[in-house]
Amino acid sequence: MWLEVSLEFIFLLSIFLPFLTAIFLFLNKKLFNELMTNFFTLNAALLSFAIAAYSFVALALNKFNGVNIELFQWISNPDISIGFTLDGLSGIMLILVTGLSFVIQLFSTSYMEKDENYSNYFIYFNFFVFSMLLLVMSSNFLVMFFGWELVGLSSYLLISFWSKKPAAAKAGNKAFVINRVGDFGFLIGLMIILDNFNTFDFYTILNNTNEVSENTITLISLFLLLGAFGKSAQFPLFSWLPDAMEGPTPASALIHAATMVTAGVFMLVRISPLLQHSNLASLLITVFGLITALLAAFSAINQYDIKKVLAYSTISQLGFMFIAIGAGAYVAAIFHLVTHAFFKALLFLGAGAVIHSMHHEQDIRKMGGLRKQMPITASMMGVGTLAISGIPPLAGFWSKDEILASVFANGGIYYIFWALTLGAAFLTAFYMGRHWLLIFEKDNGFEHSDINEAPKAMTRPLLLLGIFSIFIGFINTPFFHGLEKVLHVNLEYVEVTHLPEGITLIVLAVLSIGAGFTGLIIAFLFFGIELHKRIDLQKFKLEYPIKLIKDLSFNVLYLNKFGNLFFVSGMKNLTRKVAVVVDGILIDGSVNFVSTAFNTTSKITSTTQTGMVRNYVVYFGLFLLLLIVLFIATPMLQS
Amino acid sequence: MTRRKEIAMLEVTTDWYLSLAAILFTIGFLGMMIRKNALIMFMCIELMLNAVNLTFISASKHFGQIEGQVFVFFVLVVAAAEVVVGLAIIVSIFRKQSSASVDVLNVARG
Repeated sequence: MWLEVSLEFIFLLSIFLPFLTAIFLFLNKKLFNELMTNFFTLNAALLSFAIAAYSFVALALNKFNGVNIELFQWISNPDISIGFTLDGLSGIMLILVTGLSFVIQLFSTSYMEKDENYSNYFIYFNFFVFSMLLLVMSSNFLVMFFGWELVGLSSYLLISFWSKKPAAAKAGNKAFVINRVGDFGFLIGLMIILDNFNTFDFYTILNNTNEVSENTITLISLFLLLGAFGKSAQFPLFSWLPDAMEGPTPASALIHAATMVTAGVFMLVRISPLLQHSNLASLLITVFGLITALLAAFSAINQYDIKKVLAYSTISQLGFMFIAIGAGAYVAAIFHLVTHAFFKALLFLGAGAVIHSMHHEQDIRKMGGLRKQMPITASMMGVGTLAISGIPPLAGFWSKDEILASVFANGGIYYIFWALTLGAAFLTAFYMGRHWLLIFEKDNGFEHSDINEAPKAMTRPLLLLGIFSIFIGFINTPFFHGLEKVLHVNLEYVEVTHLPEGITLIVLAVLSIGAGFTGLIIAFLFFGIELHKRIDLQKFKLEYPIKLIKDLSFNVLYLNKFGNLFFVSGMKNLTRKVAVVVDGILIDGSVNFVSTAFNTTSKITSTTQTGMVRNYVVYFGLFLLLLIVLFIATPMLQS
Repeated sequence: MTRRKEIAMLEVTTDWYLSLAAILFTIGFLGMMIRKNALIMFMCIELMLNAVNLTFISASKHFGQIEGQVFVFFVLVVAAAEVVVGLAIIVSIFRKQSSASVDVLNVARG
């Protein structure tokens, strides 16, 4: 009996271990040097991962039938309790978050070396891991909301970690404020859920989706969708993510690539039984995902910051996941989430290693030809690039192909969506090819003889993630639907879009591989052998269009400026007016009125205080007289 | 003889005492208002207090009740205490400005 109970409860340990570590490090901040901090945080992360793996194995032995643990009931009506769940979906996230957390912390020990706030970084980091686990392991919307808000907070802390840089402080604010827009939607969605279902528990809600009307479900979905858009940096709430690159690179790898930004995708898969009842919401998810995927991929083409390319790439890949959710391919979405987490963490850590070796230079125009100096980093980033481009048999191919095939399988208008998604996949391969070639291959005329390969603490995580980026795709291939089995409890009430079979699937796969290869080849033509310099561009009159594309891409279609112009400055003007009218006239006016009124009356009355005793005696006498008069007059008046 | 008779006819009633007390009180009060020497003002206060005492005693005699006379003792005690404190203040005022005028002491004016 005891064993059974402890088995169920043990995964709670891996949730709270990072939290305890954060507190422990915080309490011993002054005492611990870097080595001690490393010792505790790495061991705790490894232990947390081990427990997560153990729980996952236990879950697998239980045929992925989840367990619910209600810690306590907070309010009985409506039914609100604090509880956690371990099922296929949260199990995958548990493994992913704790595993990547360990690998990236290992990387961080080298990257953050000799930072003046070294232990603070790990405190925030562990706090983030805890918040993320709270988010993914929750068995109800309330705990999820706690996690949802806390990851926002810890993300803010890590983005503006180097808060002495004004840009970093600003970026943190921006991320927080834009996320607030999304959280507002999420919160309203939760209120509608509570109103209709009288509980926050996922399973109760998702088993009773038939009890509410489709309109209500659409309303709930749309509000929750707003939350997902904010957290997962989807159009139009995406502009915070590129700015978030001001934070330390390993933190970006974990938060702004692998885990936190996928919270929106995770949440939408969690509520997939709700979503499938609302065609409007599904269509909107696909359309916005598509816009995001294309827009971000287009913007990534002409970025020069090594991290910004990856940031736009992340946004674009998240767009792919949203497309999959909209197309009803929830397994494909989670699959892409998992593979993306590995290869994007790999790419970010690789970028971190490059930045570290380049003495914090982030402009890829000043790099080039680093392959000879940094062979391991170059080859591992090459693996990441191939994986994200969808080259078989690397991880990205399997997941991206599954998304494309599922979109195609929906038919109708989804054929157009499929073609556009394929275009986005092509752009992905192109900009990633450019990225790799500009950093490691192309000679930009800079002398890099003083650049060395990153230290072992950095290359080892790269190698580990590189291996995963190659092989993780095999967990869910058309021949072996592993992930579908893992998620069967979550998708019990969901109609998952099935992949087309036979020759169609092969043709689709060939097309998606073709898109990836074409992208890489074109990138090679432009940035590898520099074709455009060898042929006369003026003959084709391509100079202006290329300049236009470059300009638009670099400025993200001027969406940021548009947003600034309309929302930010409009809001500023409005608030300024409000400040003048409400604060200046109403509030200041009333306060000033009261004070001047007191001032004037006191000035008038204080003239009676002459300081002459005789005057006071006169007043005294006068009032005494008045009293006597009243004393005599009152009985006379009464009678 | 006649004169003695006349005097004997003049009966001193309570009204007389009360009137005297009122006159004494008014004199004291006017003195407070007019004079600026602290010592004189002090004497005026004593005058007013004793006017009140007189009222108490007359009323007590008039109504045949002893409480009024008891109150007089209280007033006397308080007056004695007041004299002690008041004189000390006056002495210190005099030391400060070598006059007992209270008009100079208008620091607390508005």
